[in-house]
Parts: sequence; structure tokens; C-alpha cells
Amino acid sequence: MRKFLAILVCKLGRAVGRLVGKGSSMPGQAALKICPDILRQVQLPPHIIAVTGSNGKTSTVEMIAAILRKAGKSVVYNEEGSNQIEGVTTAVLTHCTLGGKMSADVLLIESDERYAAHSFRYFHPTEFVVTNLYRDQMTRNGHPEWVYDALYPAMHPDTTLILNADDPLSSCFALKHENVKWFGMDACALSSKEPSGIYRDGAYCPVCKSPMVYDYYHYNQIGAYRCPYCGHKKPKTDYTVTAADLDSGTLTIDGSLTIQLAFRSIYNVYNIVAAYAACRECGVDAETIGSVINNYILKNGRMVRFKLGAHHGTLLTSKHENSVAYDTNLRYIRASNTPCSVVVIVDAVSRKYFTSETSWLWDIDFGLLDCEHVNRILLCGRYANDLAVRFSFTGLSPEKLEVHPDIPESCGDLEANGAEDVFVVTCFSDRDKLLSLVEKEAV
Amino acid sequence: MDIRFVHFYPDLMNLYGSWGNVALLRRHLEDLGNTVTVDTVIPSGEAALTDADFIFMGAGTERSQKAALQDFYRFGDTVKAAATEGTAMLLCGTAMELLGRTVTDDDGKVFDGIALADFTTVQGKHRIVGDVYGQTDLYPSAVVGFMNKCSLISGVETPLLTSLSMGFGNEDKLGPEGFHQGSVFASQLTGPILVKNPLLLRAVMEAIYHRRGQSLPETLPSYPFEEQGYEITAEQLKLRSEASK
Ligand SMILES: [Zn+2]
Repeated sequence: MRKFLAILVCKLGRAVGRLVGKGSSMPGQAALKICPDILRQVQLPPHIIAVTGSNGKTSTVEMIAAILRKAGKSVVYNEEGSNQIEGVTTAVLTHCTLGGKMSADVLLIESDERYAAHSFRYFHPTEFVVTNLYRDQMTRNGHPEWVYDALYPAMHPDTTLILNADDPLSSCFALKHENVKWFGMDACALSSKEPSGIYRDGAYCPVCKSPMVYDYYHYNQIGAYRCPYCGHKKPKTDYTVTAADLDSGTLTIDGSLTIQLAFRSIYNVYNIVAAYAACRECGVDAETIGSVINNYILKNGRMVRFKLGAHHGTLLTSKHENSVAYDTNLRYIRASNTPCSVVVIVDAVSRKYFTSETSWLWDIDFGLLDCEHVNRILLCGRYANDLAVRFSFTGLSPEKLEVHPDIPESCGDLEANGAEDVFVVTCFSDRDKLLSLVEKEAV
Repeated sequence: MDIRFVHFYPDLMNLYGSWGNVALLRRHLEDLGNTVTVDTVIPSGEAALTDADFIFMGAGTERSQKAALQDFYRFGDTVKAAATEGTAMLLCGTAMELLGRTVTDDDGKVFDGIALADFTTVQGKHRIVGDVYGQTDLYPSAVVGFMNKCSLISGVETPLLTSLSMGFGNEDKLGPEGFHQGSVFASQLTGPILVKNPLLLRAVMEAIYHRRGQSLPETLPSYPFEEQGYEITAEQLKLRSEASK
């Protein structure tokens, strides 16, 4: 009875929520109040794929869903990104019969790293993809090893883990787990002998804290690592990027499947091979995957094109407090090679809660903007001064830097002068402060 | 002056942008005409602590902290001797805990610290997170920062922040935070604490000059971005601490 009621309340709540444009966690929350173990009582689909990690979850989940649907499977997922247990409950119950049977082939879940253990108390994924684990929103997450420890209890022994072989930290989940499939990337044109980034979280082994050796790096601590002391090392991969070239925008998986990249970034390459691995594990053939992923443009793309006066602009959104996401976007600007101005906005650190915490600015490799084609950098928002201090340690010539705390004022200044390309780097919490001042264009 | 920093474990202990402290302190000293060299120490590497002007260790994960402690322990007596001689030191985040008598991890395992101070640390399974706005005996204006830790520290008799208007201290809400004795500064406030607090930076510089028998020049160069950055954060946190009363 409770089960029936919980499902009914959730379905009704969702229908009403859709009408009034409310989010998707409330109905699940209500259902959980009525029946706390409702997720144990419903009949779930044969495949439950969970995706978690510091970066790339949303993109990976979106690609997995697109591929599985192309392969003829019906997929339910928490599309709106409410990735804690309430959102998962809403997604499950709205797709259940009132008797509690879920009508789908695959339940796909984007899971918050910190809450996964809670979400999977009453059921467990058949496949669990971990994209990577690194510094991300430290104000709530503590640090990557803390997140690792929080995530560990979510790994059920029966679950097949699909892990990033090139990440020394998240690969540790395999140490006490039998069923593991590995994705990763061979040495290729993108590999480097030198580490990149401001900090070196790959310098010491996550298992024994001895110094690690890298045969090559792909970005930050992602690469071919090995610990001479305890033997922790990049394992042999099951699903592999065997070649990649960002200049031509192509990548090859397992030596035979060639894909054209819509967004030429190494992070996108890793997300693609993670999605590829998950779908192969669900029985989808390589050709079907290739037909979907080739030139795939992410719906959740964090890039917006706009016009401001005579300027063509690109807004690159990163989570604040996520230095790797920032570095991605800075690298994109660095690779653009056309004369440009860059606007960096830090006005509110988080949209969810107020904080004055700015130490994450010191983890971002802003020195990537120290290149000839970046002519001018405007530092904007309430924390423009903090940005200015941070930028004074980048080696960038002070003549290129301007400090404009007021966002409309700096946009007005740009609008009135010049016609060069403009890149804006900011976070979700601040992006509308820019978008309300410019004219959006189609990507 | 020729000033020498000793930076312990820059890769192992570098969470929350700790490196910003060393970078900014170095710049300010150089701007006063000093030459600054930074010697870095890696685990099982050499460290010349005698005659060092400034010893620094940043924050690390709890596991990295244990690895750091295992190595740092051999320098215990030298570090204590340096402290007695007035060598300036700053230990941030989990590095502060190494100065105490013991660190107990979340499984109850006890590790010996170097016992420069009498306090003890107990780490737990929950993180204590939030903005901090507090007072120090060093100067009249407020200290700003952010707390992100999983430990309680008891037995600090000479805290760096004597009281807090907002946030969590060594072992209590609004309680005292950090440790300060002579030239030794330690705090669990995350990251570039000297960047966020220009006057704390000045206090560390004073300690460095003092050991050399000198005083800081009466007038120092001005750093408008650092000062305005501090003013804005202090104003925001003050408003919030008043609103929460
Ligand atoms: Zn090892």
C-alpha cells in the first residue's frame, strides 16, 4: 500500500511540477517520506548504469543515453541533473507502473560522488562508470581522497566497475574489486613528458604515498603512472583510445573505430571512451556507437556564442571551484590562435550558498592565457581584486590586465570598442550576469 | 638581506592553493630589496633548517599528512630549536597538526607529532566546512578565511585567532583557532591565508626581520588589489556574521 501510494504521489507531484516548472527532486523526496525503501520494492530494469566522477558525468551520461536509444533500448535517466537519491527516485517512480514495475531497458543515473553510497543503499548499479576523481568544489567535497572514501561504500561487489585506467586515484577502486573493465588512452600525439597544471596530485602514489613515475601525461594527473614502491600502475585497458589528434579533430578507438570530434578537447576524448566502454558492456556494437558519437554535439554544451557590439563572443562555462574545468577552457582559448580579449568573471563563488572562499583561484593555471594572441584580459566581478592578485603570479604582462569589478561597465566598454573575438570564462552562477547583456547566437 | 625559505613537501602538502603563501611572502620581501631563495624539501630529502629565515608547510589530505609526518618527525628537534631561536614558521591546514603531541586518525590510530606545542589532534569522519571571521591579538582588524577540516584540536593555549564571530575554531564553534607562539604561526584556515590577510602577511614579515635584529621599514609599498580584496571579503563576512547573531 505504501509502495502504491509513494509511486502515485511521485507521479502526481512530477506532473504538477512539470506544469509549474518546478525541479525534479521534490516528488522523489515526498515518495521517500512515505516509503523510505521504495527503491528496493520496485522492479528495476536489467541494466542500471551509474556514472560519477569529478568532471564529465553529465556529458558522458548524455552520450550513453543517445547511443543506447539508437541501439533500440528504452532508457530512463535523471536528465535534469538532480543527482542525489531524491532525483533518482523521481526518475524511477515516474517511469514505473502503479504496481511498481519499471518500463525501460536501462536505468541510467548521473550520481553525485558524495551521495552515491546513500543513493545505492536499496539497489545497486550493474555497471558503475567513474570518469575521474580530482580537485572539485573543495568547499563541499573536502579533497579528492575524501570523495574517494565517500564513494567507496557505493561499490557493490556484484557491480561491474568501468574505470579510468589513466587516473591514479579512481583506479584504486579496483584494488578490492573483482569485476573491472578499464578505459584509457594510449600514448599518442596528445601525450606529454611533462605534467601540466599548477599542482601535481599525481606526484605521490595514492596507495602508499611514494613518489610516482609517469611514462607520459595527458592532463593533470591523468596519464601512464606507476609506483615503483607498491606497484600501483596504469592497468591494461579494455577500451582504448589508440590515436587522437586534436588539430584534425579525430580519434581512433581500439585501432578501428574513427570518430570526428565536434568539440576538440582531451576531456571530451575521455568522456567519449567512457561512454563507449559503458555501451559496449551493455552489448552495443562499435559501429552503432560510432554512428552516434561521430560529430556529436552535446546538448548540455557549456559553450554559448554571442555578439557584443562588433565582437563575436564565446562564453565558456566552468564550475567555479573546479580548476580542471577552468584549465580546459583556458586551454581552448590558448589553442584558438586568433587575436582576442578574455573576460574572467568571479562575482559569486557558488550559486547554492554564500562563501568568500577564493583559494581555488590558486589551483587554476591562468598562465595558459600568457600567449601572443590574448591581447587583453578583463577581470570582473566582486572578486576582481582577488583575480588581479592571482593573475600577478602568471607571468602575464600587467599591460594586458584590466580590473573592472562592475560587469555591465566592462561589457559596455567592450561593446563600444574594438571588434576582436571575445572569450568569457565564468561559472553557472555568474553566466546570466553576462548573458543578460549580450545578444545570443546559435552555436 | 639574503633571506632563505625552507618549503616542506610542496607537492605532497599543497591543497587549497597553499603555494600562494610562499609566492606572496617572497614577492613582498623582494619588493623591500631583499634576495629570497626557496629551498624545497621532499620526503627523505635533505633540509638545512639552521639559519633558515622562514619554514613553511601547506595543507595536505589526511593520508598525505601521515606521509609528511613520517618524514617530518626526524626534523622535530631541529624545528623546535629553530622556533626557540625565533625562526618564522607558518604551517597551514593539516600541517598545523604535526606541531602537536599526537594526531589520532579516524580509525583511532595514534601518530606522534613533533611536540613543539602541547596540543593534540583527533580526526573524524565528518568535515567541518565554512567561512571564518575572527579576531587576533596581533592587530585590531579582523582575520578572514575558510575552514575545511575533519579534526578537533585540543589544548592550544596560545591561539592565532583568539575568538571568532563566525565559523569553527580548533575544537568549537566560535572557539579560538590556530596556534601562535613567538615566531611560529599555524592555522587550519585553508589556502593562501597570507594572501587573504595582508596584516597577517605583515606579522610574518616582522618575525622574519626580527630574528635578523631588524625592523620592517616604517612605510611599506602599497598593494591595492590585495588590500581591496581583503576589505571586500571582510565586509561581506562581517555582514554575515552580524546577520547570523
Ligand atoms: Zn605506491
